[in-house]
Parts: sequence; structure tokens; C-alpha cells
Amino acid sequence: MKKTQTKAFASLISSLILIAFEIWAYVQTLGFRVHKRAHVQPATFPQIMIYGMFIFTVILFVQSLIKVTRGMKENDPENEISASINPFKNSGVAAAMFVIVLCVLYTFLFDKLGYVLVSACISVIMMILIGKRDPKIIIPVSILVPLIMWLIFYKLLTVNIPMGVLQPLRDLVDKI
Amino acid sequence: MNWSLLFDSYVNVFSNFQVIGMTLLGALGGVLLGAIPGMTATMGVALLIPFSFGMDLISSIGLLLGIYCGGMYGGSISAILIHAPGTPSAAATLLDGYPMCQKGQAGRALSVAMFSSFCGGVLGALVMTFLSPIVAQMAMKFTSAEMLMLAFFGLSVIVSISGKSIAKGLISAFFGLLLATVGQDPTYGAKRFVFGFRPLLSGFAFIPTLIGLFAIAEVIAGIERIISGEEKQQKSDEKITSVLPDLKTIRQIWPNIISGGLIGTLIGAIPGAGGDIAVFVSYGFNKSSSKHPELWGTGIPNGVAATESANNGCSGGAMIPLLSLGVPGDAVTAILLGAFIMKGIQPGPMMYVNELPTVYRVFAALMLANLAMLIVGCIGVRFFAKIVSVDKKMLYPIILVVSLLGAFSINKNIFDVGVCVLFGVIGYLMNKFEFPLSPILLALILGPMCEQNFVRFVDVNNGNFWEILHRPIAIGFFVVSIATILFSIYNQQKINKAEARNKNKDKNNA
Repeated sequence: MKKTQTKAFASLISSLILIAFEIWAYVQTLGFRVHKRAHVQPATFPQIMIYGMFIFTVILFVQSLIKVTRGMKENDPENEISASINPFKNSGVAAAMFVIVLCVLYTFLFDKLGYVLVSACISVIMMILIGKRDPKIIIPVSILVPLIMWLIFYKLLTVNIPMGVLQPLRDLVDKI
Repeated sequence: MNWSLLFDSYVNVFSNFQVIGMTLLGALGGVLLGAIPGMTATMGVALLIPFSFGMDLISSIGLLLGIYCGGMYGGSISAILIHAPGTPSAAATLLDGYPMCQKGQAGRALSVAMFSSFCGGVLGALVMTFLSPIVAQMAMKFTSAEMLMLAFFGLSVIVSISGKSIAKGLISAFFGLLLATVGQDPTYGAKRFVFGFRPLLSGFAFIPTLIGLFAIAEVIAGIERIISGEEKQQKSDEKITSVLPDLKTIRQIWPNIISGGLIGTLIGAIPGAGGDIAVFVSYGFNKSSSKHPELWGTGIPNGVAATESANNGCSGGAMIPLLSLGVPGDAVTAILLGAFIMKGIQPGPMMYVNELPTVYRVFAALMLANLAMLIVGCIGVRFFAKIVSVDKKMLYPIILVVSLLGAFSINKNIFDVGVCVLFGVIGYLMNKFEFPLSPILLALILGPMCEQNFVRFVDVNNGNFWEILHRPIAIGFFVVSIATILFSIYNQQKINKAEARNKNKDKNNA
């Protein structure tokens, strides 16, 4: 197994990404408003947290670097194969990425199309994606679950959920 | 204590069919609401309080306490079965509850959770009955110094829930604490990490973040496992012969129930500190004091018992300052305070003088609420356990749409759905690279408490933080926190060594 495939190498890369994130976050805190009379500035607490995060990221970086460069014992957990995030090499990761894109689309369409419709669509797509093929199950489950959830939230818990294009359904339920 | 009046109050409450009916109804509603990720006991109580307007005081308090106790247990159902804590107080239950479910012991985990919730709740109610004036006086001595150190004590538990790498656990914790600072700063209202985006002014809402980190991340990872062929369909062939845990299990978990119940009651009695903190403190304490800390997190009933007894113990604890000082211990008791005032009763020290029978009936109503939760749980446990045998290909899309609805319903805000998805992605990536998620959760709970009390204490003492050395209770918390951290590091090293030894053995045997 190549060193670049180990968990130690993945930890090394993650620590570098985290250091970049911490530098970026620290630069942001420099722009926070300053209060002359304050004993504790609005930036103080976030900066303390960034220092803490930075210290342990450096520790992780050094630990991983030593393991990658000097080699590891066979039973070292960091010597195992790291998880992949390459969608072109792993179909599972590609599916996960696709679901993330679906979730983002769901967020944007939630208000416009309404909860029931957008949830039914995402359920159908996901079930087909993960290998469910029977339309007798897919369609009723995808429609009934969001519909029942909407009814529970709307009628029992009086939480107003966007219905979008299915607004007439709400009017109908109100009449009943 | 007026024993005859206490006895009469119990008889009065336990023989009143309206109170019993309302409490059972509340417990059923609470369990169902708690089981839906995003629906908390607080939300349930807030939603149903208008329905109690027309009832007499004890019936309405019974209904609300039923929801409170039921919701506390209900949160564990989704934590155990679908890795999505229904309520923040159930966040630590999934550490051992979900692995138990994966081992095919969903029914056992649920019955342990139910039994521990009941015992913790009863313990809390008993402590409330006998020690309420004393505990309330002690808890009310807490100022910003003690609250700051209490938050630090809570954070010290992070080391014990960090998993294999303490460095990764602490990075997660500091990341969570940093996330807790997003929005307006609590003292001066300065914008932090807002980037001109108005919904971020109030920071990341806790419940959508929690749902994202656990439920959405689990759905994404689950779909990846299905496509990669790594996901195995769990079967519910586990025979639930008894809805309550067997004697052997009870013998195994009773020390965790007692300590969890007491920790929950004490933490619940401190205003502002609720079940979400108590469960992690209880889990950390019980793991550290266990002979086999390496087994914690692998799916043992002790972990479920320690957390579930703590969160239900909190319900009794939170009632202590409410009744004896008129100060609510958490969000639910704040709503209950409103219910008392609505009925013309002002909780506080004078309530023990003017309304002693009412105080005792409230004690009895809390006991009844715990009993109602047990009854509802016993009836439902076989049904709940069947959820795991639902085809995962159908279950994941359902979890996704229910969870996203839960995230929306908190503030009726589409932004929270986006937050939920964002944290789902963060949780998925962190899981992949073995950064533990629980420390983020704990940090998000304790971060604001930590910062507010730090700023308040430093301001009150004109910038002299070292004034804290003159606060003995705060110093006590600090010493205990350091001891907890050192002990947890020692424990973790022991666990890592034991795991390495086991791996070697397995290799030699192979």
C-alpha cells in the first residue's frame, strides 16, 4: 500500500486544510468592531478558539508527518487505507455527491414548489438511485410520507409549511 | 415535611382519572414528538399549552409534564434507531444506542433507554420532593464565575468522547466553539462571521445543526454504503420477550442509572444548564469510572442507561428552582412557570407556605408523568424496534424528508434547511476522516454559556480574570475538570493499547 493511501496521509492533508481555514478565520476576526472601553473584545473569544484549534491542528500535523515519513507499525490504526472522496473512482462517493446536490436543490425549491411536492420528487429520485425499482412502492411511499408529515405539522402542531403549487390542497383541508 | 399531606396529595393525583388521562395523553404526544428529529419536548409543551387553558391546574400540569417526560424518552428512539437524536438531550444516547441497534439489539437498547429514563425520572422526582429547598439554595449561589467553570467542566467531557484521536476530538470541539460565535456577539452586538448575510445574525440554530450533523450525514453516508455494497440490511429478528430489560442487564446498568439520575438532577437544578449538558457529563463520568472504558461507544447498555437516566433526572431537577425560587431551570419549566401564573399561582418560596398542597400535587404529578412515560414506552417498544427492519432503500429518503421538515419547523425558516444540509455535508466529511461529531455538539451547547459568563465575569471584575481564584465553588469545578481531562486521557491511552493488542492477537490467530 502506498503511503498516500493511508489514514495518516489523509490526516496530514486534513491538518493542512484546517490550518488554511484557521488563518482565514483569524484574518476575519481582525475586522470585528472594537469597543474601546470593553475588557473583552468581540474578537477575543473567537480568537481564543482559533488558537486552541490551531494548537491541536499543529499537533495532528506533526503526528501525521512523523508517521508518514518514518513509517508505521502494521497494527497502527493510521496505517489503514483512508476513505476515498474521489467520485470518479468510487461509485458510492459519486452517489453521495449526487445526494448532496439534490439536497441543495431541495433547499432552493422548498419555498417555490412546496414541501410535499419537492419531498415526493427527491424521495422518488433517491429510491431509484439506490436501487428501488418497484413503482407500486416508490410512488405511494414518496407521496404519502410527506403528505402525512405535512398534515401532522399543519393540523396538529399548527406549523405552517410552504405548499407552493399545491396551495389548493391546503385550502381544501381548511374547508374540511 | 408534612407526610400526611404528601400522602393525601399522591392519593388525590393517582385517583383522579382526568389527571391520569391527560398525563397519559401528554406522555404519548411527548414520545411521538420527541421521536421526530427537530421536535423537542420544549416545542411540544409550547404547542400544547393552549389546550390546557380550560383544565384545572393539576390536569394541565400533568399534561405538560407528560409531554416533558415523554419527549425526553422519545428523543432516544430516533437516536437509537436512525442515528438522529430526536431532542438535544438524546444526543449522547446515540453513542452507544446506535451501535447496539447495528448489532441487532434495537429492542434491548430501547427497553434499556425506557427503563433508565423511568428510573432517572423517579430519582429526579424523589430528590425534588425531599431536597428541593436545599439544592435550590446551593444552585442559586452560582454567579458568572461558577457558570463559566461549570461550562468548562462540561467541555472537559469532550476528551472522553473524542474517540481514538484526542487531537481530532479537540479540533472538533474548538471548531464547534468557533461556530457558536457566529452571529452577533452577546455583549456588544458586533457582527462576527456574518459576511453581510442577515439570517446569520442570530448564528446557527442548534436543532438544524444537530439534525444535519447526525441525520443528514448518516443518510449521505448510508447511500454511499448502499451503492458501494457495504450496507447490510438490519433484521429485526431479535425476539423481544420482555419489554423491560432482563435482570442480568438491570444488574449491569443500575450503577449507571443511579449516578446518571443524580448527575441529571443536580445539573437540571442549575438554571440555564439542562439535559443536553447533563447527558454528556453523565456519559463522561460513567465512562471514566468504568472498569472497561474501551467498551463504551461500541454499543453497551451502560452507555444508554447513563445518558437516558440523566436526561430524565433533569426533569425533576429543573422543577426544583422553579417551585422553590420561581426561577425556571430550563425552557420547559419556563413554559410551566407561565402555566402556573396563568392559573393564579406564583411559584417561589411563598408557594411552600401558601400553596403547600399544590406543591405536593405537582411532585405527585411528576411521578405520574414518569409512570405514564413507562406505560407508553412499554406498549410502543415492540413497534418502535420494527422500524429498523424497514428496507434502508426506503428508509433513507424518508429520514431525509422528515429531518429537513424538522429543521424547517423550528423557526419556520428556509435558511435553517440550508444550515441543516450544510452541516450534513460537514458531518459526512468529518465522519469520513474520523473527526468525531459529538464534541461539536457539546461545544455548540456550551459555547454561548462559556462566552457570556466569561465576558460578564471579566467585566464585573474590571478585567481581572484572576479574581476567579477567590471563588471556591468555581475552583472546585476547575479542579474536577482537570482531573476529568487527565483521567480521560489515561483511559483513552489504555483503550488504544488494548485495541492494538487485540489486533495483534487477531493477526496471530489468523
